[in-house]
Amino acid sequence: MILSLNYVVAMLLISAGIYCLLAKKNLVKMLIGIVVMIDGVHLFLISLGYRAEGIVPIFNSEVAPSLPYFVSRAVDPLPQALVLTSIVINICTTALALSLCIYAYKHYGTLDPSKIKELKE
Amino acid sequence: MIEHAPILAVVLPLFMAFLMPLIGILAERYKIKYLREIIAIGVMAIVFLITVTMALDVWAGEVVVYKLGGWSPPWGIVLTVDALSIQMALMISGLGTLVMIYSAAYMSRDNGLSQFYTLSLLVMTGMLGIVLTGDFFNFFVFLEIMSFSSYALVAFRRDAKAIEASVKYLFLNSLGASFILLSIVMLYGSVGTLNIADLAVKLASYQGAVVPSILVVALALFVTGIMIKVAMVPFHAWLADAFTAAPTAISALLAGPAAVVGIYWVARLPYLPFGTPIGIILIAFGFASMFFGVLMALMQRDFKRMLAYHVISQKGYMVLGIGLGTIGAAFGTQGGLFHLFNHSTYKALLFMGAGAVLYQAKTQKFDELGGLAKNMPLTALTFLIGALAISGIPPFNGFVSKYLIYLAGLQAGLPWITAVAVLVSALTLASFIKAFSSVFLGQRPTRLQATPEAPKLMLFAMAVMAALCVIVGLLPMLGFDIIGPAASATQNTAGYISQVLGGV
Repeated sequence: MILSLNYVVAMLLISAGIYCLLAKKNLVKMLIGIVVMIDGVHLFLISLGYRAEGIVPIFNSEVAPSLPYFVSRAVDPLPQALVLTSIVINICTTALALSLCIYAYKHYGTLDPSKIKELKE
Repeated sequence: MIEHAPILAVVLPLFMAFLMPLIGILAERYKIKYLREIIAIGVMAIVFLITVTMALDVWAGEVVVYKLGGWSPPWGIVLTVDALSIQMALMISGLGTLVMIYSAAYMSRDNGLSQFYTLSLLVMTGMLGIVLTGDFFNFFVFLEIMSFSSYALVAFRRDAKAIEASVKYLFLNSLGASFILLSIVMLYGSVGTLNIADLAVKLASYQGAVVPSILVVALALFVTGIMIKVAMVPFHAWLADAFTAAPTAISALLAGPAAVVGIYWVARLPYLPFGTPIGIILIAFGFASMFFGVLMALMQRDFKRMLAYHVISQKGYMVLGIGLGTIGAAFGTQGGLFHLFNHSTYKALLFMGAGAVLYQAKTQKFDELGGLAKNMPLTALTFLIGALAISGIPPFNGFVSKYLIYLAGLQAGLPWITAVAVLVSALTLASFIKAFSSVFLGQRPTRLQATPEAPKLMLFAMAVMAALCVIVGLLPMLGFDIIGPAASATQNTAGYISQVLGGV
């Protein structure tokens, strides 16, 4: 039950993020939409590795007395590694996007994407 | 083959990218001219040689599997190089070298060249990583390395237009990347593996049975993400802006080598790892892009913007060809991959020509240009070769691959697609006649009387590209030697899977 709640929340975050990206007329708010959406994906990913009363996935006698016990209890370490990588990537994108927003504001004096259109003739 | 060739091809540009700022400081302190440029060109040339050594092994029928850290698949991360990957890697590193030579001249008036070469080499790292990796999550990481280096490169000059283009590029492509990530996560959640060969085996076990809806959603998300990266028609808005506003060396880089990456996944998509018949989707996207791309190109009055819309149109041809290949047209996949090869050469050439004009005449509006053939005869000649090649005029290379795609349309029993493809080709020619005459022929504005010829380095890169266009056009068998193995490797999923997982 707890597991499925995680998934539901993750999907809600993703939907909220997409909605924010599509509906908002401000670059910073749109960026927040993207970040919320990717965090939803992260939540989804990390929940995949969750196991009730899981143990550290290191096989030695202190953590797990026997192999069957280890197999039945150890959490999946891969999602954690993946989510860390993805968080780092997400930070880079956010930082770059924010710096672009600053430049856009300097050049155009607005953050409304419908008013930033010098390229279209 | 050198033992560690696959990883060297990825790691070498990555490390050199981060050494670039240091090299820049040294170059400025000891007043060594062109140190950064020479090192960047050298790195790309070495990577090209490494991929050539790999290519010899791969064409002998082997799938090179490189286990990172000695962990065997499906548990560890592997780099897998089959004939399709090697075609892409050869194109990326070969064209990459030429683009670096071109940018040495083109960017010479800019500041912050250390950052420029850092970012360019990172783009190369990302692209080589994407085509060489055999791991799905690894693919996402390399995709992001490539993507945000290119966002930064598009905004490199930080003027209003560049920022606007980069903002659009970033927002749309971040959405695409997060779709791809979500798709990868869903696949991992339902199947429990990230190795592409292993995924293919496990997904194939659903064949015949009812496919769980989560896999359909994952496929849909993945296709959407890839189509945003390839800029097929409903998702194309970012491409024209990005290519117009970026420094032209970057437009050439993104139009030539970076187009490769998206098409690589389009070519993989119907076979590995999903193994689903999505040919119809590809045909629909390709057809729409081919047609609307050229229509929009006809209306443009900006040199680079017109070329950008032709990129969309030509990518439409490739996706169409690959799509036709999945529904029984034997020439389809070959045509699509061959067209990718040809497109990368002539489109990079055309952008370089436009860049040379922009560099010397300081404008890219058709209305303000004219009569430059007298001032820049070599640029005009190479541009003409590129323009004829893109329009599919024999004996240039564009003709060969377009002809294959026409034949594929007939083979698949859809002659109306062939008819439209021929029509689009004619419209392409019309639009390039307009471009050529308004830039190189006609009345020369007095302001442009003293325009000099492009610098020698630019001309060298353009001449090599033009020579490639002519040689491949005259001797298409040279191209088939590369494309043939690639096309058959694309469809040979069983061979790929057994060679990757065979060691287990």
